[in-house]
Amino acid sequence: MSDNLYLPKIGRIVGINEETQGARAIKTFKVEFPNDDGFEHDCGQCAMLSMFGKGESMISIASSPLVKEYKQFSIMKMGRVTSAFHAAKIGDFIGIRGPYGNQFPLHDWKGRDLVFIGGGVGLAPIWPVIQTAIARREDFGKITVFYGARTSNDIMYEDDFEKLKASAEVQLSVDAPEEGWPGYTGFVPANLMDKAPSPDNAIAITCGPPIMIKFVIQNLQALGFADEQIYTTIENKMKCGVGKCGRCNVGKDYVCVKGPVYSWAELKSLPQEY
Amino acid sequence: MEKILNQEKLREWVDMLDDCEVYAPAFADSVWNYARIEAGTDIDLSHTNTIGSVKEFVFPQREVFFRFEKKDGVPVLTSTLPDPKPTVVFGVRPCDGRGMPRNDTVFNKEFEDPYYWARRNKLTLVGLACNQPHSPNCFCQSVGGSPHSEDGLDILMTDLGDRFHVKGITVKGVEAMERGRDAFDAVRDGDQTEVEKVHDTSRSFPQRPLDNLDAIPKAIRESFDSPLWADMAQHCIGCGICTFLCPTCHCFDINDEVISPTTGEGERVRTWDNCQFPDFTMHTSGHNPRADLGSRLRQRVSHKFLYFVENHNTQQCTGCGRCITECPVGIDIVAVLERVSQ
Repeated sequence: MSDNLYLPKIGRIVGINEETQGARAIKTFKVEFPNDDGFEHDCGQCAMLSMFGKGESMISIASSPLVKEYKQFSIMKMGRVTSAFHAAKIGDFIGIRGPYGNQFPLHDWKGRDLVFIGGGVGLAPIWPVIQTAIARREDFGKITVFYGARTSNDIMYEDDFEKLKASAEVQLSVDAPEEGWPGYTGFVPANLMDKAPSPDNAIAITCGPPIMIKFVIQNLQALGFADEQIYTTIENKMKCGVGKCGRCNVGKDYVCVKGPVYSWAELKSLPQEY
Repeated sequence: MEKILNQEKLREWVDMLDDCEVYAPAFADSVWNYARIEAGTDIDLSHTNTIGSVKEFVFPQREVFFRFEKKDGVPVLTSTLPDPKPTVVFGVRPCDGRGMPRNDTVFNKEFEDPYYWARRNKLTLVGLACNQPHSPNCFCQSVGGSPHSEDGLDILMTDLGDRFHVKGITVKGVEAMERGRDAFDAVRDGDQTEVEKVHDTSRSFPQRPLDNLDAIPKAIRESFDSPLWADMAQHCIGCGICTFLCPTCHCFDINDEVISPTTGEGERVRTWDNCQFPDFTMHTSGHNPRADLGSRLRQRVSHKFLYFVENHNTQQCTGCGRCITECPVGIDIVAVLERVSQ
């Protein structure tokens, strides 16, 4: 059975946290492997999740590789499969295969400052990097986490951010003015420019909506970050996860295998087709 | 192993492959396509090229990956990995033969596709050299092949008029020939010279030329933002026949087909998919990296003549010409490459 890469393992939902509500609601699912056939993963990797009868979706693994007991997935309600996830209850079974893709080279970043810039549900792919860096806090310099959402109600991992403040600088933003909002008001790239983190010995890691990533990268460059200091993770529609079904390619790379993690130095040499 | 097979002995050889499923081209509904040969039926190798390619034997249009159902609330998955009988396909043109190692690369690369290999390992391809181009759109020689290429074939047959020269190329091919035993005769003086003459002549016919194949990747890379693509794709109707009939196009979709909504029973199914369809790459959000016809034509051509070359050092095109011949609106990959290279 294990040789058949298209045959998912069975996962069981053991926890559901409603992160945000509304039309683009986000829920975080904790998934265990009841058959004890789970897999290890690295920061940045994804898994193909199934709701049998609905289909499969490629979802970032949002928990740190250091957490062995379960895997965590933050899923925005968008289409058929993700809507089925949002209708699921604790105890429900899902299919899961993976892990797929490459990883953030966290081991190469020892001793460096880390600047994370996330927007919306795009926080999920970089969350395991943040968690792993915090767990190995002494390995890194200053850690700053920028995160922005449309409104304060759309902020995911709200409780975790409170804990995070003990070991990292947290810079939250909302897009539009809100009464009593203590953080920054405006888009994520603007907040980044406002706080202007130093590029010296730093690595910037960003994920969010494509338009946000574009302006974040421009602003990082304006702040003096070199292309090799900027990392992002990209997504494309995926079906197989193993570089065969043909749709997630950006130029010669199948993102499911060669990605999703790219330095800007690598990504800028590929066609702008994502 | 090289042997001679008289035309009338072909039937005899096929009959001796009685524990295999045998396929050969058959003419029906105004096209040649592969059809199952039953014992005692005639086999006709006077075909041009088949409308479908041999990829269908290893990568069918639709296949079930597994069945799912719920037992006591728990999903139970039953794999439907195929266990086919040994299959021998006659009359495979060398362009289709050359497609197979390219497909092997795709379905083996990093992750081995068990459904593909279950069929592939049982498949023997008996090629038939093209004594002359069977279509004005043939361009096998322009992409590094030849009308008598052995690449990807287990056996190559060459039609010498009253008899075939039959060459076993792989272990599987030699085994299939050994099964034919007395049907074959030894190669005699002069046969080899005649084979060479037929092969030399087959290469002398004009084909669609591709000037400077090695310069094409660079030309495509540099024309990524060119308005040429939109221009050349204007009349594309997005039917996808170019990829469905292609011996090397391998894109697919995976979907769940529910059999019973009440019991939750169903199948996960792989079907052919197509880079010329707009929803092939469309995200759930509506964002589409290849939202227009031009970008999708560019993808098809770039995949075959740039990306595959970058990844595997060879073109993912063997010059069969089907995509040109069968395109309902006359999109011509050779002409596209010519324009991009100018």
